Amino acid sequence: MKLIKKYIPLAIVFVFGILTLLTYYVPHKHSVNFLEAMNKWENIVSAFAFFLGLISLFYSHYAKISRKADGWGYSIFVYIGFLAIAVPAYVSHGKNMNGSSLTWLGWAFQYIYNPLSATMFAVLAFYIVSTAYKSFRIKSLQAFVLFVAAMVLILGNVPLGQMIWEKLFGWTSCAISDIVDWILHVPAVAGKRGIMIGIAIGAVVTALKIIFGIERQYLGKD
Amino acid sequence: MPDTTLLIAGAWISAGLTIFLFSFLYKDNPFFKIAEHLYLGAGMGWWFQVYLFDVLKPKVWLPLMNHDWLVIIPALLGLSLITQFIPKISWVSRYGFTFLMGYGSGLAIPAGLATDFINQIGGTIQPFANLTGMSAFTFFNSVLMAVGVICVLVYFFFSLEHTGVIKKASNVGIYFLMIYFGAAFGNTVMARFSLLYGRFDKLYAFSSRENFYATQIILIGMVIYFILHGFFAGKKTASGEEAA
Repeated sequence: MKLIKKYIPLAIVFVFGILTLLTYYVPHKHSVNFLEAMNKWENIVSAFAFFLGLISLFYSHYAKISRKADGWGYSIFVYIGFLAIAVPAYVSHGKNMNGSSLTWLGWAFQYIYNPLSATMFAVLAFYIVSTAYKSFRIKSLQAFVLFVAAMVLILGNVPLGQMIWEKLFGWTSCAISDIVDWILHVPAVAGKRGIMIGIAIGAVVTALKIIFGIERQYLGKD
Repeated sequence: MPDTTLLIAGAWISAGLTIFLFSFLYKDNPFFKIAEHLYLGAGMGWWFQVYLFDVLKPKVWLPLMNHDWLVIIPALLGLSLITQFIPKISWVSRYGFTFLMGYGSGLAIPAGLATDFINQIGGTIQPFANLTGMSAFTFFNSVLMAVGVICVLVYFFFSLEHTGVIKKASNVGIYFLMIYFGAAFGNTVMARFSLLYGRFDKLYAFSSRENFYATQIILIGMVIYFILHGFFAGKKTASGEEAA
């Protein structure tokens, strides 16, 4: 039993990990075909992984409704929202446009999903600013540098900031957009590169640990 | 497909959902919660149709109809994930997960090395290959960037005690990190605000006579709700205090 429960899954990780890694560096027709096939397989398994999440979500909201838990009425809207997209998708065969006109799915996307999604992220604008106002305490030079970089970037991208800059520093013949460009392309890139190199090393080490079966928490309990 | 009626209905639904979500800025309320749950369901519905029509239909169903039996293997690996709901045989799901982990890990190594490691080091060194054709300002920028990258890496290097020169270099690294965090924060704020302007623009469009003043009517309805809710909630509290 230990063989099929533990060793075969670990062998699958090892075989697919090593094969994918090696084929990436082998410039041959077969390796390209293998990578394409694996990409397709990964898409298929990921689709089922999504269904796992969907069933889990539906089950938890169904349990909430059947137990008449606090706010159970809102759970019904999860199903309504799902059907509001899934039914038009079925009718339109998953197509947003039919020639130059919207299909039912296109309509549902434009007037239901898009406003919800865009507004949800737009609301975060207020929370980001209010949280920043509450938590930005310029106690050190480092915090001041962060604040200045953020303010220059925000003001440099709006007409008001450009007007203020023109009034105060117009005599320097240096536009604020040049400063924003310089921050984004020189010191910010230096900071980002350091982080990216660190992330790459971490990702490679973790991937090797997974392939060789050193890291196996994702298997869960026996 | 959509005729004028559907476009007007769309305008009303869109304006309503937008205002319901914005109403949370005043305080939590049932309209926001309805829109929030609708968003969750609609998001899942959207991905459901993407996976159904862009993955399962062309990559599983159609090949099976053409007697391409090889797709049964990933389909079975995928189906194994669903056994998570049956505790007695939930271990079967390991087959699907291990495939995803193996393939993902195998792909993460070359991708991580190529884009995040070698390319970043290359991008830092490459400008120095053209020293003769460089202006003084470009040279200064290249040196500043190289010094910044090294100092940030020193900051993240924990195998050496941060004292003396190492401490000084890591302190300089913190300043570069702060500039990056500030720039990232500024960019995030601007991206969110551009979404906000987009929503305001749509609300303005929905407030037109052609859309039967959808924005104004829904907005007035929400204000009346909050006034009535505040009035009755206040009355309830007062009567509760009297009874006590």
